[in-house]
Amino acid sequence: MYKLLPTNEFGKTTTVQRTTGNVFIPFDPANTDFQEYQKWLALGNQPLPADAP
Amino acid sequence: MTIAYSGDSITFPDNSVQNTAPKVGMVNRIINGAMVIDQRNAGASVTISSTAADTYSLDRWCAYGNVTSKFSVQQNAGSVTPPAGFRNYIGVTSLAATSVGASDQYYVAQYIEGFNTADLMFGSASAATVTLSFWVRSSLTGTFGGAVNNSAVNRSYPFSYTISAANTWEQKTVSITGDTTGTWLTTNGVGLRVHFGLGVGSTISGTAGAWAGSPFISATGATSVVGTSGATFYITGVQLEKGSTATSFDYRPYGTELLLAQRYYVKLTDSSGASNALGLVQIEGTTTANFVMPIAMRAAPSGTSSGLTISDGSVTPTVTSLSNFGNFVNGVGVLLTASGGGLTIGRAGRIRIAGSTTAYLDFSSEL
Repeated sequence: MYKLLPTNEFGKTTTVQRTTGNVFIPFDPANTDFQEYQKWLALGNQPLPADAP
Repeated sequence: MTIAYSGDSITFPDNSVQNTAPKVGMVNRIINGAMVIDQRNAGASVTISSTAADTYSLDRWCAYGNVTSKFSVQQNAGSVTPPAGFRNYIGVTSLAATSVGASDQYYVAQYIEGFNTADLMFGSASAATVTLSFWVRSSLTGTFGGAVNNSAVNRSYPFSYTISAANTWEQKTVSITGDTTGTWLTTNGVGLRVHFGLGVGSTISGTAGAWAGSPFISATGATSVVGTSGATFYITGVQLEKGSTATSFDYRPYGTELLLAQRYYVKLTDSSGASNALGLVQIEGTTTANFVMPIAMRAAPSGTSSGLTISDGSVTPTVTSLSNFGNFVNGVGVLLTASGGGLTIGRAGRIRIAGSTTAYLDFSSEL
């Protein structure tokens, strides 16, 4: 399962959290964890929303 | 002073003879081939339990099993004496007698970044021959297998080797004619994969010694290590080099090898509880901080932590989550969120990997 993390100071979401292992994953196409997240999304899954600031 | 040559040999004034051109630069494309560096586990055993992705054990070395908990990986497992010239090895121990299905796969592997294989010219008519050499020891004997692959694993070169005597170190050499077809990345993606099979099903095993356009990760008929409970498979001195002959192992200085490994994984620990970084409390309950890496990482890294605290001089809450708020050439900006709040906006946040042997902050950009 994944969960979006709060936006950065510029108002952009740049990170998703893999809740198993509490891993933060940057939105970088070269990051293999992000590639796995993209595959997970392609299966129709949706991440949990970010917590309210 | 004279330098004489005869046939293919050059004789120098000190009577030393050079038969081939000396290799310079990064001879060994494998990083941590002597199994010296184990940032993640510091020599502890890892049971391969993820069936979704590779699990990294010693630096740069990953392992995979179709079914969870069928083998473990550990630096110097079993505490046997390594081959002469080495102090470490990666040790696989089978945890059950596992039947390997036609499409099952159990392996240890290293994936080499494309920037470090670009000169091999794979995928072109100029593809270079490469040679893989390694020391191996197993409680089993027979024919074992592995494979070299491209990133997409649609180009495969299965190889086999024979272990003649049980529980005895043997050095093996495999020469591989460069692949003139297929797509081989020369970027920060996977340039080349090297698999050592521990039990690989028939549909993903192929004929040894030939390139194939199929996803083979071992040789047909290879011995299954995971098929025997308690079986061991140890390997070290792994070298992949350009050329058709194996040269002596390319020992690099420890600092160099560690830096090469840290392009893919950095683990910060500090059991003394000293301050590890300074950040700024910009939002109540959080701190932003830049972490400068020892070397530019391959890609923006993922991260995890345990046992981190932040102190603003008044309160010291525990960090509950991290997120990436930006990347720069050789580092990453991290937003650390702490439980309980209380951090005062505008103050510095002193980040500590809080005085415990299990506390850490790590960054990974593995392939």
